[in-house]
Amino acid sequence: MSAAVSLRGISKLFDDVTAVDNVDLDIADGEFFALLGPSGCGKTTTLRMIAGLELPSAGSLQIFGEEVGSLPPNKRPVNTVFQNYALFPHMSVADNVAFGLRMRKVPKSEISTRVQEAISLVRMSGMEGRRPNQLSGGQQQRVALARALVNRPKVLLLDEPLAALDLKLRQEMQFELKQLQREVGITFVFVTHDQEEALALSDRIGVMNDGRLLQVGTPEEMYDAPVDRFVADFIGRSNFLKGTLESPDVVCLTNGQRINVPAVDAVTVGDEVQVSLRPERVMICDVDTAPDGVARLSGIVDSETFLGNSVVYRVTLDWMTIEVETDHRPDLERHHSGDRVDLWWRDDAVAVVKP
Amino acid sequence: MAEAKRERTERRRGFLLALPSFAYMVLFFAIPLIIVLVYSFATRTSTGSTSLSDWNFDAYRKLGEPIVRNVVVRSVILALVTTVICLVVAYPFAWFCAHQRQTVRNVLLVAVMIPFWTNFLVRNYAWRILLSEGGPISSFTEAIGLGETDILFTKLAVVIGLVYAYLPFMILPLYASIDRLDRRLVEAGRDLYGSGPQTFRRVVLPLTMPGIIAGSILVFVPSMGAYVTPELLGGGKETLLGSYIVTQFLTARNWPVGASLSFVLMAVMLVSTVVYFRSGGKNL
Repeated sequence: MSAAVSLRGISKLFDDVTAVDNVDLDIADGEFFALLGPSGCGKTTTLRMIAGLELPSAGSLQIFGEEVGSLPPNKRPVNTVFQNYALFPHMSVADNVAFGLRMRKVPKSEISTRVQEAISLVRMSGMEGRRPNQLSGGQQQRVALARALVNRPKVLLLDEPLAALDLKLRQEMQFELKQLQREVGITFVFVTHDQEEALALSDRIGVMNDGRLLQVGTPEEMYDAPVDRFVADFIGRSNFLKGTLESPDVVCLTNGQRINVPAVDAVTVGDEVQVSLRPERVMICDVDTAPDGVARLSGIVDSETFLGNSVVYRVTLDWMTIEVETDHRPDLERHHSGDRVDLWWRDDAVAVVKP
Repeated sequence: MAEAKRERTERRRGFLLALPSFAYMVLFFAIPLIIVLVYSFATRTSTGSTSLSDWNFDAYRKLGEPIVRNVVVRSVILALVTTVICLVVAYPFAWFCAHQRQTVRNVLLVAVMIPFWTNFLVRNYAWRILLSEGGPISSFTEAIGLGETDILFTKLAVVIGLVYAYLPFMILPLYASIDRLDRRLVEAGRDLYGSGPQTFRRVVLPLTMPGIIAGSILVFVPSMGAYVTPELLGGGKETLLGSYIVTQFLTARNWPVGASLSFVLMAVMLVSTVVYFRSGGKNL
């Protein structure tokens, strides 16, 4: 069984500027896949290459085993939900949705049933006669989804589908989008710069930066075991402890202390690395009260910030500052500025990342 | 209180600013227009002068006669041909222009305007040389073995001259509406299985229609009433509306007919423009 979308050594150059740099990626059938990264990282260009709106400068691009790298967009079994939707302003909702079917010369009777189905799938029944400019952002978003899904594409591409909506609507649509994907069972590939959206929606995430695909994994893998400092920093917050990998599961930190880490194979022994330590995975306690057999560091509380459900401490060590986030609970002891404290964590709380 | 006063001052200032152009238009456009209208209801006396004492519709009735009808039909066909050729030539250029970098666009758009820097008559005489027997075009066709060509004083020469003269009026509104077209709509059309030509017909053409209509009006209207180009390049062989009106005023000394014809021409243009605006057209 071949992958829904398969990229091999895909690159894209715009006038000598490398927008996408040698990307290898397999997206499984039925998967909800997110391409995540900051603006200008190449994620949209990658999506546009899958759609056929850009042609790759190098590499092979397959959709369900068929090489499509040089085909025009109308010859590819994919459809796109554009950023800001790109609905045809001179057509009604129904005509917008019917567009793809008409282009493919589907019989008239079939068009009207399928359009009705698609419109009710996105809960827009009764709005068939409206023009796009008479719809709210969320409604336009739904029409754009219907216009793409009515064609039963093998892969649905979504370019920042929720970016134009306000926060509350965005959260609603996130939920709907996820449900819709389960309902239709089509592979969704969506591009976003919003890490929370990526975590909430996708089965797997690929993080891109500077045209390179840095890591691909489930949301949990990306959060708990990032392999690149950029990934650890982009998805959530983290402390980065500098050091050298001494053996596959031991890092010597710059202060000379050795800590155990989950074994890594992406980094060679002897290389400079950083250890990513999530603020909420670090425990804080009074001096010498940490349990035995855990990694620990001593420091002084520099500041405490109360955030309602949690408390964030900044703890100064003599070689760096570490952020610690603890739950706010009556049974947990509060520490204050100037207190001497110990920080500790279990070995599996950290991840070794490329600097 | 103070606000109301300021508003009044502002309004007065706006009026003062508009006054010069307003006065100019009334003096040199509106009033002469009314004079033309009045004359169109007047009577031509046997001596060739115009009598304003007897008001009637005779001049308008005369427009139904075969001679005038032929002139009108000929002019309409010529203007239509000119408009269609302008559209076909201008659209690809405007499209190309709108898809260039800003600096390239500016250079191209200035190039479109450059002919305006030379006097219209001079340019028409230049075309006479280009089109005449023994001129550059003739020499070229002779050189490639097609024999001499004498295009001057033909309908073709008139069309060439009119297209040349009014092409910029087609290009500029087309450019404006193509530039305003959201590229992603074209991409959406292609993404939704539209081929290039299908996407053009279903998406690009309807969305750039305002530019097409605006450009067509701007070319069709002056082509209909063109006088200089048909005279100089057509040799006045076939009477067109412009020449016919001039003849009525100057040679035939039948001012009422000249005036009524001018007015009907203008009314047709006005009505078609209004209809266009009413139908939701913009960006003229």
